[in-house]
Amino acid sequence: MSGRDMSGTDMSGRDMSGTDMSGTDMNGREAKTVLEVVDLVKHFGPVRAVDGVSLTVAEGEVVGLVGESGSGKSTLGRCVTRLVPVTAGEVHINGTDISRLSRHRLRPLRRDFNIVFQDPASSLNPRMTVGDIISEPLRLHRVGTRVTQEQRVTELLDQVGLQAEVSRRYPHELSGGQRQRVSLARALSAGPSLLVADEPTSALDVSVQAAVLNLIGRLQADLGFACLFVTHDLAAVEFLAQRVAVMYLGVLVEVADREALFAAPRHPYTQALLSAAPIPDPVVQRGRQRIVLSGEVPSPIDPPSGCRFHPRCPVAVPECATVVPALRPVGPSGELVACHLVNDDGTGPRLT
Amino acid sequence: MTAGNGVPEQSARDWTIESVPSVESVPSAESVPSAESVPSVGRVPSVESVPSSLSGRETLLSVRDLSVRFRTEDGPVLAVDAVSFDVGQREVLALVGESGCGKSVTAMALTRLLPSNANISGAVKLGSRSLLDLSEPDLRDVRGKDIAYVFQEPMTSLNPVLTVGRQIGEVLRRHQQMRGAAVIRRATELLDLVGIPLPDRRVREYPHQLSGGMRQRVMIAMAVACRPKLLVADEPTTALDVTVQAGILDVLRDLRAEIGTAVLLITHDLGVVADLADRVVVMYAGRTIEEAGTDVLFARHSHPYTRGLLEAVPNPQRRADGGLREIPGRVPTMRNSPAACTFAARCEFADEQCSRERPALLPGPAGHPVRCFHPLPATAEALT
Amino acid sequence: MTTFELVTLDETAARPQALGGRRVLRRLRRNPLALAGLIVVVVAVILAIFANQIAPFAPDHTNFSAALTPPSARHWFGTDELGRDQLSRVLFGLRVSLSVAALSVALSLVVGVPLGLAAGFYGFLDPLVSRVADTLLAFPFLILAVGLAAILGPSLGTATIAIGVGNVPAIIRITRSEALRLRGLDFVAAAVADGASDFVVLRRHILPNAVNTLIVQATVAAPAAIIGEAVLSFLGLGIRPPNPSLGVMLASAQPLFRDGPWLAVLPGICIVIVTLGLNLLGDGLRDALDPRESPR
Repeated sequence: MSGRDMSGTDMSGRDMSGTDMSGTDMNGREAKTVLEVVDLVKHFGPVRAVDGVSLTVAEGEVVGLVGESGSGKSTLGRCVTRLVPVTAGEVHINGTDISRLSRHRLRPLRRDFNIVFQDPASSLNPRMTVGDIISEPLRLHRVGTRVTQEQRVTELLDQVGLQAEVSRRYPHELSGGQRQRVSLARALSAGPSLLVADEPTSALDVSVQAAVLNLIGRLQADLGFACLFVTHDLAAVEFLAQRVAVMYLGVLVEVADREALFAAPRHPYTQALLSAAPIPDPVVQRGRQRIVLSGEVPSPIDPPSGCRFHPRCPVAVPECATVVPALRPVGPSGELVACHLVNDDGTGPRLT
Repeated sequence: MTAGNGVPEQSARDWTIESVPSVESVPSAESVPSAESVPSVGRVPSVESVPSSLSGRETLLSVRDLSVRFRTEDGPVLAVDAVSFDVGQREVLALVGESGCGKSVTAMALTRLLPSNANISGAVKLGSRSLLDLSEPDLRDVRGKDIAYVFQEPMTSLNPVLTVGRQIGEVLRRHQQMRGAAVIRRATELLDLVGIPLPDRRVREYPHQLSGGMRQRVMIAMAVACRPKLLVADEPTTALDVTVQAGILDVLRDLRAEIGTAVLLITHDLGVVADLADRVVVMYAGRTIEEAGTDVLFARHSHPYTRGLLEAVPNPQRRADGGLREIPGRVPTMRNSPAACTFAARCEFADEQCSRERPALLPGPAGHPVRCFHPLPATAEALT
Repeated sequence: MTTFELVTLDETAARPQALGGRRVLRRLRRNPLALAGLIVVVVAVILAIFANQIAPFAPDHTNFSAALTPPSARHWFGTDELGRDQLSRVLFGLRVSLSVAALSVALSLVVGVPLGLAAGFYGFLDPLVSRVADTLLAFPFLILAVGLAAILGPSLGTATIAIGVGNVPAIIRITRSEALRLRGLDFVAAAVADGASDFVVLRRHILPNAVNTLIVQATVAAPAAIIGEAVLSFLGLGIRPPNPSLGVMLASAQPLFRDGPWLAVLPGICIVIVTLGLNLLGDGLRDALDPRESPR
């Protein structure tokens, strides 16, 4: 991993001080940066799905990437794992920039990162047994012998709360929650340092969702991998993530520690998003002020000029339509916000 | 903990909506008798036996012992098991449960909107009309006019080659005999009612030109075109983003004020329930297991499954408390109605009685009906 | 006694289901038409394989004293103008017809599947492969066969190749659309994330999931190949007399139809039965291999 120090110097030269800080400052201890995304751009033809995103995830950290449909959050997750080619920008994993590696050169590095998907029905090969699915990364990276691979499968099944005999089953014999556990075991089998979880609980029932969230939290605490948790479910993010990045129409609008973000969201969009999610407590919910946004998310083919949120923003000023706001650190603890109206001391508009 | 057992069965008889369902007297499960599709009027309790929990509202819809069986390749499946509930005028009643609990099937069965392998029994009364006894043409008249549906996925319910105005107009022409320019005028009004900006332009657009949220608003506009007495909304916001969902929930709320429609809200999202519902019926494995006003249900629920559902919702405090509550196992598929509590296999309080006797829906420790032998004590601390 | 059955599919003890072949067989058994098709095909294959043992006479054994006799106890299917036993000739003809069907389908799979996989998996190859397939499809099958016969000389091999090549576009199309569909599924993305090369992705993740569709396509192509062989042999582009195939028998029966109608009718019925059996089996397999699980 010779590239790590190189990217360190790379970093200091960039206007990335804020991201850098929150990446290494978690809980006051020095945490190694596992994932570092720099100015990532992904266009599908005319669709500007991701348009310049910078983000870090440190060892042992869960970063929640929140956004609504069309925000580009899933595309970002697929770029980070190079399941789609990157249009521009860099993706450093443990210091190595994987954004431009050939697929052939990339393959051995894939031991270090993996992904779980949303749909438990389509994310497991129906023609393979659970044991073969989980040991696939081990076989592909030639880790261990047949015997040790089988032992590893049993160990992984135990870690995700399934019995060893499940390894002989086929996916269609399992429930949605069980399949999601198998997906997790598969993604973690080669011992990656980064896990991208793309809406892993969104297709599940509430009670099953709870079990899978508990499991991800426990695995993450036990194994210490870095996790980019992509979701639209604010409650799940608040439960699982230490840091939260909010995405809107291909760009990040706010990145902050969980407590700070949920207690005092600074960006108007974050405020609207949090206020729109109903809280399952009728007394609280009926007493809340809800910010109803006008209009709909604009098309990522022709995103609005200036701040992409300005056509729907209740407090927008003329500057918002012309000048693109930079994601910059504000307030005493340096939360990152991309909004002209938020002051450097962190004060700004409060929508009601 | 066993407060529910203290309630003598007899004293509860005068109000209980539980009557002995025919399934228990018919032991053979395999022979799903088609004769059962004829609802036996004698079993239907009179309207007087309705629980007094409609908060003073007049009853609009009353469902009694509604059961739905499906004949499938793998034998019969009992999807809805003697479900009874009422919807009051202008009330928003939420039917809550996880997938497979029978909530959607219940909603569809109200107007027999089910595939031909379904066998519906029981009674559904809208005012004085008994819906399950109506002929198919009469029922078609009820659908759309008296009871309207809104489903989860609006794109599959809209015709892609007709303008929004045409599709709303079709409903108006069919059910309200409206003609000419009045149709478009009314369609525009309806789009305005459901909060669609520039309605006179949108009325000429095609479904693909609208966003998901706008399409769902169009669906609601079509549904309420004839001022139905009851709007059945089956997961109306599940496919939508939260900021869009907020607007749709507002529309549903406003409809009650503006045209006096009652709403039967089918959902698994407890946040949506807290936001919109007056009263909640919780379903599990085809049965109703708890029924209460929304505030009461969230603060003083009595059924262990209800507690499981509520405490499974992610919340940062629960992370500190050692994680979310998990309910082990999964919803069973019923072949027929067991003389047992269907939740027993997953319940931490289950004892021998739970697997031997069928619990009745009786007033629990908190005063509202619950189907459990060991309901949670009424002093249960409010939801943390 | 048990008035109810509570089907609890517990998280820890899901009910093991019959897998793969056994499940397909169970589903086939519920479909009487498909079962009939399966029996017909199995019987036909057995008859063809053991034609040597079963046939009462050698297929080219002539007996002029018994020429053109109608079906009888001695000659069930009668004899032709040279006194050859028609039952024996039908059995050996069946062997030829089924061999041509099997070999031509195998040929079209060997050529079509890799091309279809490549077209479906690599977007940049798609226009090229699809264009070739379309061109081939636009070419009339008979012209193709005549052309081939002109180059290679008329023989059974030529007929087999012509039939196989004629079937390639269909295989390409079906494989391509399967590869396209499967390529978009998450388990393929997961395999890439696991570190699988393109070859591994195609071999382990895409091809096995396309097999069901290909089996169905093969059972549809096989009866067409039998008829194709009959047509080509009838035109003299396939097997040469005196070797029998069902098509050759039909062809040579034509001038004798008034004197010996059984000569045409019985082989014709055999063709109909075998192709019908294959078609029924194909339809049944299509249903039985449907990946959707039976509704619970």
